[in-house]
Amino acid sequence: MRVLASSTGAERSRFAFLRIDRELVAIGLLGGVLSGLLGVGGGIVMVPLLVLWAHYGQREAHAASLGAIIPISIAGIVTYGIAGEVKVGPAIALTIGSVCGARVGAGMLARLDERILKSVFGLFLVGVAVLMAVRG
Amino acid sequence: MSGTTLYVALVAFGVLAGVLSGLLGVGGGTLMVPFLTLVAGLSQHAAEATSLLVILPTAIMGTLTLRRHGVGNAGVALRFGVVGAVGAVGGALLALALPASALRIVFAVFVCVVGLKMVRDAVLSWRRPA
Repeated sequence: MRVLASSTGAERSRFAFLRIDRELVAIGLLGGVLSGLLGVGGGIVMVPLLVLWAHYGQREAHAASLGAIIPISIAGIVTYGIAGEVKVGPAIALTIGSVCGARVGAGMLARLDERILKSVFGLFLVGVAVLMAVRG
Repeated sequence: MSGTTLYVALVAFGVLAGVLSGLLGVGGGTLMVPFLTLVAGLSQHAAEATSLLVILPTAIMGTLTLRRHGVGNAGVALRFGVVGAVGAVGGALLALALPASALRIVFAVFVCVVGLKMVRDAVLSWRRPA
């Protein structure tokens, strides 16, 4: 099922780039709301929902979530109006490391067995839960 | 920690956060915010703002790398993310009106249960022939 597309044929083709699965809209909204509500990254919400609800494969779910984080983080940057709060030095140092790391991690995502991905992600979620409970 | 040591630690931690981000499809803020507050001594707001700024190039790099490997559909993911962004703004506004600590505990339990289920599914699928 497709939504966000008009019903007539001409309109549909003109707005074809706007098409998106209904489950994705629901998961995007739910993931976004939980993420904004709790100050956690969207990924730890979206990946499980994509796997358990939309029946994405583990690898495809991780890839979809990572891409979705691009517009979500832009919205976050705009919403929080971060200009005055960003510590430029730490941001640059972290970015140098994390951009290099992301190449390695995404390369691993492309190759690793889905069962390993599922295990690592599951353990990561348990770790996050512990961290949240301790900090909360 | 201060000076050079702190910056070396930040780059090293960035690598770790980046690998997990690319591998797990998460932003990495969940890891970076506690690190920035506890180790680098930033305030909660400064840590969140700083981590958001780091997440953007990290997610772009991860997505470009995946695209080169032919994994996923970046176009669908971006549209999906625009919907998520709308939800995130809504959630942030809602957060101002609700008791966050109770929500946080409920959410931690939810995340823990989902995590354990995923590990269990993975272990069970290992026993079956792939």
